Amino acid sequence: MDNNNISVKVDRVSKTFGEFTAVRELSLSVRAGRIFGLLGPNGAGKTTSIRMIVNITAPDTGTIEVFGQKIDSQLQDRIGYLPEERGLYKRMKVGDQLKFFGELKNVSGKDAEGRIDHWLSRLKIPEWKNKKAMELSKGMQQKVQFIAAILHEPDLLILDEPFSGLDPVNVELLEKVVLELKLSGKTIIFSTHQMEVAERICDDICLINRSQKVFEGSLREIKSSFGRNSVALRFEGGNGVLADTSLVSKVDRHSDETEVLLAPNASAQVLLRRLVDSGATIEKFEMIEPSLNDIFIAKVTENS
Amino acid sequence: MIKFLAIVKREYVQRVKARMFIVMTVLGPVMLVVFTIVPGLLFSLKTGGDTRLAIVDQTAGGALFEPIRNSILQRQVYDDKNLGERIESQVNSNTTRRIENASQAFSAGFSIERVDPTGKSIDSVKQGLNARIGRDELDGYLLIPPDILTNNDSKPAYYGRNGGDMVTTGQIQRRLDNAIRRQRLLASGVKESEIETLSKQVNLQTFPINEKGEEGAQDSGLARFMVVFMIAFLIYLTVLLYGQVVLGAVVEEKETRIAEILFSSVHSFKLMFGKLIGVSLVALTQLAIWGVVFMAISVWGIAALSSRGVQGITVPSLPPMFFLYFTLFFLLGYFLYSTIYLLIGSMVTTTQEGGQMAMPVVFLLMAGLYMAFTVIRSPNSHFAFWVSMIPFFSPITMIVRIVSQTPPMWQILLSLGIGALTVVLLLWLASRIYRIGMLMYGKKATIPEVMRWVRQQ
Repeated sequence: MDNNNISVKVDRVSKTFGEFTAVRELSLSVRAGRIFGLLGPNGAGKTTSIRMIVNITAPDTGTIEVFGQKIDSQLQDRIGYLPEERGLYKRMKVGDQLKFFGELKNVSGKDAEGRIDHWLSRLKIPEWKNKKAMELSKGMQQKVQFIAAILHEPDLLILDEPFSGLDPVNVELLEKVVLELKLSGKTIIFSTHQMEVAERICDDICLINRSQKVFEGSLREIKSSFGRNSVALRFEGGNGVLADTSLVSKVDRHSDETEVLLAPNASAQVLLRRLVDSGATIEKFEMIEPSLNDIFIAKVTENS
Repeated sequence: MIKFLAIVKREYVQRVKARMFIVMTVLGPVMLVVFTIVPGLLFSLKTGGDTRLAIVDQTAGGALFEPIRNSILQRQVYDDKNLGERIESQVNSNTTRRIENASQAFSAGFSIERVDPTGKSIDSVKQGLNARIGRDELDGYLLIPPDILTNNDSKPAYYGRNGGDMVTTGQIQRRLDNAIRRQRLLASGVKESEIETLSKQVNLQTFPINEKGEEGAQDSGLARFMVVFMIAFLIYLTVLLYGQVVLGAVVEEKETRIAEILFSSVHSFKLMFGKLIGVSLVALTQLAIWGVVFMAISVWGIAALSSRGVQGITVPSLPPMFFLYFTLFFLLGYFLYSTIYLLIGSMVTTTQEGGQMAMPVVFLLMAGLYMAFTVIRSPNSHFAFWVSMIPFFSPITMIVRIVSQTPPMWQILLSLGIGALTVVLLLWLASRIYRIGMLMYGKKATIPEVMRWVRQQ
């Protein structure tokens, strides 16, 4: 990875609030033109890390570089930020509001006008332009906030839990927009604890837990490093085989499928033979990669 | 610059467009009139008919009854050619005179009866009258001692149930005083015709002399006093009206959770400064509208009075420099107090909480006003110098000094400079507290915490 391809470089950054250490010795690199998932449980230090990247708070120690420069207020205009704590001016019309947020990023009112119309219709809410924010549902407000974050066409977009509280139709709509932005060359940092979403759209991920980085890398690498030690099963009979802990360390029964995590040193072939021997009818037996959710839980529990 | 203007514009446009602003702009002057005039009217309004008064004249032959009665009933009626003079005297008279004059128009007056004490003991007369007052056949009576004309220490007495009606007892006091003094003068041989001219009031004329030793035009100092209280009142009014608005403007983003988006785009100092300017422009717009209306009414009123022959109503004339100082110190005062509200807004999470914390601001303002009284009497004392340098008092106290005895220019500039610096400092402090406090997940800040935030990097 050469430096030109790095949009954000966080180098040994720490931040404490009084007694509490929010971020400890965090280092990470966000590659240009990719979606970077910043994952971690609640209170892990994701939001504090993001606030330091967008120059809202300064790190106690360590450095942060965005587009190869030390972060400053000029660079802020190239970043779009949708915080987890977000709101709108209740009594302001949606259009005026978006124009205001645009101007705060140095976009002139005239330029903003056309983009506002474009994005409102792209997100299927053009009729709300002259409505006051207080008349909007929470989901619609969220779409307006999303537009506010991208109106100035930022090179780096930081989304903190962007889909929480949205219905599946709108999640899909916004996901599509995010992927389009990535294809047009933008770098996106995506912070969430919804692993399914991260698994769908992230190229790279970084997991932080208890103020520290647990691991970082591309989704592919992480998944393959975990190996194919899970099996998806659909079968009848064969009771008792899955209870053997020397063979299986974890069993997840879904509605029509069972997912098992093999015990260390156990082989899938042995499991298959044991099931066949026990007289089970096997409809499906497939080696699968662990889900990001499994990796997340495994890493977080191992870490604590 | 786009960012700063955007903030100013948003604060301004949102507020000026609001229904509340329009309502207040119309209602403000109406309320002001109601609050200043109505209490006076209520006070002077006397309901329930004439005051029934008995006069017990113990002098020989009861000779004083007639003059006293005439004086109390104010028998000499104004004729219309004196209207101009009367209006002028009313415009320029002090508050007590004004209430008195107003009350003449409203009070129903007196009905007077004579009680002849000859042949009865004074105690039995009093008992009889007291009983009548008790039965509500009479409101009060005056007891005139027999030696009232010869003994200067002799005191008449009033007995009545309405002792708390200061307007009525005041009228009786003044009119009785007039009648008796007149009678004493007559008794000592002064001619009836001379009394009026001899007892005319002596008026002192005052002429100001400036620091170059030049004599100014005659000037009672009233105009100067008016300027001081105008500016104090204006600051007081605007702070009272707009302090809460400034506070609300700062808290708004905390309540709506917009602060974080703003901080990712603009520095908090710029944000605070923009908010202060935006809200201030709203205040100035409103004041300007009120000012124009007030001027229009004044010009119209003076023209109307002049056309009826009223002369001598002079608008206080002041050198043009005063208006510059007036504007500068008014703005300084307004900004100083607004930034305190800004500071409070940065510490609290809701407007209600802020309202409580803002209470002491009004005391600070009042303290400045009280100091003005001391300063106006000795505008060049050390005390006057120091209080005109202290930021929160300087807008009022320095103006007092300027209008009474203009201090050297460097002192005026220093006072302005210190004030301006304080505004910037408070602004900086507020933006700092706001930024750090906001990131503390909206929890209420304690004073030690705030101190720590200020020091924090």
